[in-house]
Amino acid sequence: MMSVRIVLADDHTIMRHGLRLVLNREPDFEVIGEASNGREAIDLAIRENPDVVVMDIAMPLLNGIEAARRIHEERLKTAVVILSMHSDEGYILKALRAGARGYLLKDSAETDLIQAIRAVCSGKAFFSPAVSKVLADDYLRQMRQQGVEDTYDLLTPRERELLQLVAELKSTKDIANLLGLSPHTVDTHRGNLMQKLNVHSIPELILYAVRKGIIT
Amino acid sequence: MGLNSLSVLGEIQARNQHIREDYFNRDRILEQLRSDIFLSGTYVRDLLLEQDPKQADLHRVELQKTRSRIASNIGAYQRELRPQERKPFHEFTTELDAYFNSLQPALEWNAAQRQEYGYAFMKNSLLPRRMMIVHLADKISEVNQRQLDAGNLQIANLFSGFRRSLIGLLILMLLCGIVLATLSMRRILRLEKISAARFGEVERAREALQDLSARLIAVQESERRSLSRELHDEVGQSLSAILLGIGNVAAVLPKQDSSARAQLQELRRLAETTVAVVRDMSLLLRPSMLDDLGLIPAVQWQAREVSRTSNVYVQVHADPIPEDLPDEHKTCIYRIVQEALRNAVRHAQAKTVRVRLSHDAERLALTIQDDGQGFVPEREKGLGLLGIQERVTHLRGTFSVASNLGEGTLIRVELPLVLQRSTEDAFHTIS
Repeated sequence: MMSVRIVLADDHTIMRHGLRLVLNREPDFEVIGEASNGREAIDLAIRENPDVVVMDIAMPLLNGIEAARRIHEERLKTAVVILSMHSDEGYILKALRAGARGYLLKDSAETDLIQAIRAVCSGKAFFSPAVSKVLADDYLRQMRQQGVEDTYDLLTPRERELLQLVAELKSTKDIANLLGLSPHTVDTHRGNLMQKLNVHSIPELILYAVRKGIIT
Repeated sequence: MGLNSLSVLGEIQARNQHIREDYFNRDRILEQLRSDIFLSGTYVRDLLLEQDPKQADLHRVELQKTRSRIASNIGAYQRELRPQERKPFHEFTTELDAYFNSLQPALEWNAAQRQEYGYAFMKNSLLPRRMMIVHLADKISEVNQRQLDAGNLQIANLFSGFRRSLIGLLILMLLCGIVLATLSMRRILRLEKISAARFGEVERAREALQDLSARLIAVQESERRSLSRELHDEVGQSLSAILLGIGNVAAVLPKQDSSARAQLQELRRLAETTVAVVRDMSLLLRPSMLDDLGLIPAVQWQAREVSRTSNVYVQVHADPIPEDLPDEHKTCIYRIVQEALRNAVRHAQAKTVRVRLSHDAERLALTIQDDGQGFVPEREKGLGLLGIQERVTHLRGTFSVASNLGEGTLIRVELPLVLQRSTEDAFHTIS
């Protein structure tokens, strides 16, 4: 069995130490390096090409979200899991836009970290359940207060399928194969889907899926 | 002066009256004398021509009456005799006495004597004398006339004197007025200069105060930022590490040691609560979103946070805001929204609040409208609103609150987007 190679990026030694202890419980997880700022994290990612970087947001020199963006731009296979104190969607959207695959609350890191790493390694997105709950609650409140109809009801079954697959970060080719459609048709469906939901980017689409509890 | 003029005018009038009355009185007496003298001549002539002794007696009596009237008029005139008239009047009375004395023998004549000498007496004595006397009376009249003219002249002089003094008075008044006006003007100018200086002082003091208040706000904001960071980065991270540690200890703890597990669980709950408290404190001081994500995400977060934790629903409509918006502007807008939402939740009992943020090339506009119970802005302008006013004034923006009891509240803020020098100065002073 291939081990999962992990880099920990946090400016607090004690935090890194705690995370390492959590990860050590999994025999196939291997922490191959630690970084105490964003630059070190990028260097390590480029040099070691790890499977996952667990990244704190608030770090000196370069913050975790910027580091995630650089790693994403390097087109490495590395998946970034953001560690954050905030469950607000502003941070989540920013992390998603920077190419992060997972968003983890520090309060629940001990219980969710392993699950998150397994999820992103299999190509899925992961959000702390507490985060999903906050997003879903905010969305529900907004719909109730503004009296708008749930755009989800407008979607065809095919579009709902597509929504889940896109939010799970599947590529167009994979989706085409899974649904037995041409890549071009998938693109068209995705365009319609985003128009109906009034979202303008994949990160927003993912956020929508989290709000609706389609992915966690 | 005015009173004096009035009394002078009164005096002139009285004198004029007196002079006229005096003249007419004298003239009347002289006229009477003249006619009585003529009359006396007529009676004497009638007497001389009279044959009937009875009729002659009657003429004598008439003559006597006339004479006594003349005597009484002379007495009346003599009482008011003026010095200039003394000589003509003396001549007049002397002549008059001589006239009556000359008549005396003729009155004693009998009818035959009158017939014989009467005509000659009349022609040679009576008529010339009478002419003489009337002539003397005319002289007195002339004096009287001259007196009247002199009086008129005197009054004319008095008048022209009065006019001169009035003109003098007028010029004096005018000069006094000019002097008074000049003095007043100088005094007013001096007061104006003083008041301008005072106003300048007040203005400078106000500017200094505003500067101080801006610095205070800047210092407070920077303190809040560093406190918030410290809480978030140090305390929060340490608590997160403690939570992780607790989890790790729990993972290695034997499953049957339930007492230790329960204690650990307790510790975990405590740490979790503390993390939440610290995070809330940090966000209250200054939300990291403002620095990490920008103004709109921070406002949206604040809106969601208020919606989550209160009965007020906050809706945000925001144009994309320029990236290079100065930090002071961001903070200003954010604090205004924060304060307004706080008021809406605490005091207004609002159900919905609409926050709208828009901008054009020159200005940033913020409106916050709630549907709460409203208030009277003039009466209840709390410290919060004053703080907003200060921040906005410092950025040379405008701020208004429109509210009425029962009609909700509308807060409107506009900030000019051109970076002001004072803004830069304030930044230099705190950094």
